[in-house]
Amino acid sequence: MSSRALDGRPAIAAVEELRPGRYPDEDAAGMPELVLRRFLEGAHVGPDDVDGLLVCPAGMAAGRGADIFVHERLNDALGIRPRFCETINVGGATYTIMASRAALAIGAGLADAVLCVGAGKFPKVGRGGADAMARMISHPDFEYPYGSFIPALYALAATRHMAERGTPRDALAAVAVCSRDWALRHPDALMRDAGPLTTEMVLDSRPIAWPFNLLDCSVPCEGGAAFLVTRGERARELTGQPAYLLGFGEFHDHGNISHASNFATMGAGVSARAAFDMAGVSPSDVDLAELYDAFTINPILLLEETGLVEPGKGGQFFLDGRGAPGGDLPVNTYGGLLSFGHTGDASGMSMLIEAARQVMGEAKDRQLDAEIALVHTYGGMMADHSTVLLGRAP
Amino acid sequence: MTAPPVPTLTASTALYWQEAAAGRFVLPRCRACGRFHHHPRRWCPYCWGTDLAWEQPSGRGTVLTYTVVHQPPSPAFAVPYVLAVIELSEGPRMMANVVDCSPEDVEVGTPVEVTFEPRGELAIPQFRPIGSTR
Repeated sequence: MSSRALDGRPAIAAVEELRPGRYPDEDAAGMPELVLRRFLEGAHVGPDDVDGLLVCPAGMAAGRGADIFVHERLNDALGIRPRFCETINVGGATYTIMASRAALAIGAGLADAVLCVGAGKFPKVGRGGADAMARMISHPDFEYPYGSFIPALYALAATRHMAERGTPRDALAAVAVCSRDWALRHPDALMRDAGPLTTEMVLDSRPIAWPFNLLDCSVPCEGGAAFLVTRGERARELTGQPAYLLGFGEFHDHGNISHASNFATMGAGVSARAAFDMAGVSPSDVDLAELYDAFTINPILLLEETGLVEPGKGGQFFLDGRGAPGGDLPVNTYGGLLSFGHTGDASGMSMLIEAARQVMGEAKDRQLDAEIALVHTYGGMMADHSTVLLGRAP
Repeated sequence: MTAPPVPTLTASTALYWQEAAAGRFVLPRCRACGRFHHHPRRWCPYCWGTDLAWEQPSGRGTVLTYTVVHQPPSPAFAVPYVLAVIELSEGPRMMANVVDCSPEDVEVGTPVEVTFEPRGELAIPQFRPIGSTR
């Protein structure tokens, strides 16, 4: 296959991420500034190196109404006057879609270097937060009155996947175990100090919504990250090994989950096929996968839909330890949202940052031989799908 | 104990809830393509036809998928409860609770029929397994 190489050979040239945790002294407006401070400390770029800015809304996951003019505030804060700039939101898919928008802008000559920023707060689910989020993500009249809330809505996908494809309950637990094993290797992972997990620990944890127990759910926290997308030529000046954007695709299925086209697939495969087609590579070329894992069913479903394993084989993949350290296709090598932490509005950043670090050779103790990495994120209740392929060579 | 949520009536949905309060399950049906849709809206999502009529579907369907909730989002919901997506015999899908049975009785594919649960001055459609004797 031949690659339809993107004009300008856009690449990620720098990434920086906050340590996931709680930042009680920062409000939603302060979080992106904290992320940018971290980025400026780590990435050696100045105001003249950036002529594009993409940023997520502030305060959305906190459920108190989102600020959609963050880009204007950050322009002033950074002292920049970009040619390409907006606040964009596609939920968890926001950041891979920022990468694709930045690549398209670079290819079209709208910008040369786009700084992409995400920061998030996450309400405490035990203090009315679960109800506030349930109101936000459900149809107010046709879902919310039935007791819909986030874990239960993902459980609808899990139950259907289990019934249709024979995915066993143990396989969901194996996903959590796999993610924890990786988290033990990441110095910033929220659950690193909690030690390893076993399948039994997951199965014995408190039931939330069948088939999910507490340890099938990602860990709410706060954080964020920033990355710079530039023309390949410029990226090579900034870093020895950029992460080239080989291909990307997206697909937008339902609004409310009641209208999902297919509960066993959630429409995830369409974006992956588009990304492979643009990159001119196939699933067998992928060395590692970072798959948005709000709950343990997600990596199973997404592995199958991205074509990395056959439909119905995703559960067995994790039971066989193939995604874990030492496995043949490492999955969520930073610990995933399950064990690294789910940073509210910024959650979709972590898996893209990790894929970029692996491709750039910056993953330290957990560094793998990663020629090509796949990232799949989604927004809403597995509604907005986005797949990005990163590689060492343009 | 907080009262469970009551739907808000809008121009497109008022009749749906008012009929439910009277024990009737009605849906908009497109006069152009003949299909029912859920939830009610200002046009047909299948053909974009705008000539709609309210009609009574069979009120029967199957459980497309479900979960049993053990930790509710708020104290308004008594656990355990079954949260399901029902595929109606006429095609549309909708969220509901499966009631009048034990959660263990619910599976993917369980045949169900509509029933109604009072909420404030209104009622919301719910589903129970066909043949349920509770």
